[in-house]
Amino acid sequence: MSRVITITSGKGGVGKTTSTANLGAALAMQGLKVAVVDADIGLRNLDVVMGLENRIVYDLVDVVEGRCRLRQALIKDKHFPDLCLLPAAQTRDKDAVTADDMIALTNQLRAEFDYVLIDSPAGIEAGFRNAIAGADEVLIVTTPEVAAVRDADRIIGLVEAFEKGHPRLIINRLKPRMVSRGEMMSIDDVLQILAIDLIGVVPDDEQIVTSTNRGEVAVLDRSSRAGRAFVEIARRLAGEDVPITVFDDNPGLLNRIFGAFGIRPRGSER
Amino acid sequence: MTTLVAIKGGREGLRLHLDEAAVWSDVLGALRSQLNQGAQFFNGARVIVDIGNRSLSEEQLAELMALMREHHLEAAALASTSCESRSAARAAGVVARPVTRSAAAPEAPGDAMFVWRTIRSGQVVRHHGHVTVVGDVNAGAEVVAGGNVVVWGRLRGTVHAGALGDRTAIICAIELRPTQLRIADLIARAPDGASGGHPEVAYVDGDQIAVESWERYRRSNRNDP
Ligand SMILES: Nc1ncnc2c1ncn2[C@@H]1O[C@H](COP(=O)(O)OP(=O)(O)OP(=O)(O)O)[C@@H](O)[C@H]1O
Ligand SMILES: [Mg+2]
Repeated sequence: MSRVITITSGKGGVGKTTSTANLGAALAMQGLKVAVVDADIGLRNLDVVMGLENRIVYDLVDVVEGRCRLRQALIKDKHFPDLCLLPAAQTRDKDAVTADDMIALTNQLRAEFDYVLIDSPAGIEAGFRNAIAGADEVLIVTTPEVAAVRDADRIIGLVEAFEKGHPRLIINRLKPRMVSRGEMMSIDDVLQILAIDLIGVVPDDEQIVTSTNRGEVAVLDRSSRAGRAFVEIARRLAGEDVPITVFDDNPGLLNRIFGAFGIRPRGSER
Repeated sequence: MTTLVAIKGGREGLRLHLDEAAVWSDVLGALRSQLNQGAQFFNGARVIVDIGNRSLSEEQLAELMALMREHHLEAAALASTSCESRSAARAAGVVARPVTRSAAAPEAPGDAMFVWRTIRSGQVVRHHGHVTVVGDVNAGAEVVAGGNVVVWGRLRGTVHAGALGDRTAIICAIELRPTQLRIADLIARAPDGASGGHPEVAYVDGDQIAVESWERYRRSNRNDP
């Protein structure tokens, strides 16, 4: 059975696209067939993050409107032959597709892939609704900031109303040392408010910016802390029981293993 | 208080009952005063308007809709056994349905509503009676109740108790750290700083909302039920 997973957030710029690209690559590293879909129509950038921008011929709207077949619009990744991108249209806006179009599209993708990851636009508008329309599961990305967490809470309420099951949470850009100085919300602070299952914690990592600019995802780089966090999340998504590691800002310091403190990924219950 | 107008919460949401026999202008008058009294409660609410077997002309219906609009009360549907009323409603673009007397008869037991989940930012719970939440009321969420509000969890959002004008209503929470509290016509902003770390109660004392630890409140209200 293939799984369709939408990655979304309330607030913009918290790391949805980064998460989609990295989780897609990490799942493909496990030998799974993965499609990543850019549903941020009009503001596409999943292709840029994956370094595939110059290979785009057709896009999602072309498929929906019947100008090409799905196969023609899918772009093979440079590193993983089992990873494909379905890019968004840059010159159209979100009204170009409907929720029904997205359901039909995801059903087509299910036939070919083990995982379909959908990168959602931020916010609570039609674009978000389209992005979750065909999903079986939803991952919510937030940074440990009050405004981002508040917006995540809003989105979780909507996802629950759409009956997409219990969404799981990725906390991105955590800075453990700021947390220990009391300058940033801790994992517990965030979970206390959102009261949903945590699937992973990604540290703030400057290397992500440089690798993104090169069009290389972080999981390709074994020394990248964010990359390792995404590899872990992908394993949990696939159902493995992996305790949550919080990679410290200072690579020299010992990592804190959160599994020992009772924070367990949801996958472990299955 | 008048019996010409009654508001009840049910499985389908709020239901506004308008007496089916009284003179229409009296019913409208009673509704107007009810809406004025509970202005906060009704603001933004969607109700099913139940007029029983009264037949309403299009003009009468238009009057009703105008009054509701004035108070930001939205008609989700019009329920009536009268065909004239239902066609007047459809002409005005309001969903109309025949009253199902048997379904309307068994009123919800008591006047309390039970919410067993976290109420999240952007969500509103609105009920004419008491509300009990087992879970948190997060910042950005709202609970509006005609009666008391009990939060078995953290109250970080906005709660309005006694929203139909009852100043004797109280709000209690295990952790009372609201954005704003309202009781009847009174408003209190959250005190700066953290909550006491123990269950607390908010109630009206004179012309102000007071917050006190549950232990203290209980001792000073020993004789209450
Ligand atoms: N863990 C991280 N450490 C450091 N920088 C990060 C991290 N995650 C994301 N970023 C950076 O944050 C910025 C926004 O990330 P991204 O584009 O993935 O967010 P988004 O949620 O998709 O944004 P939008 O809402 O605009 O679609 C990018 O510059 C990205 O490189
Ligand atoms: Mg994005």
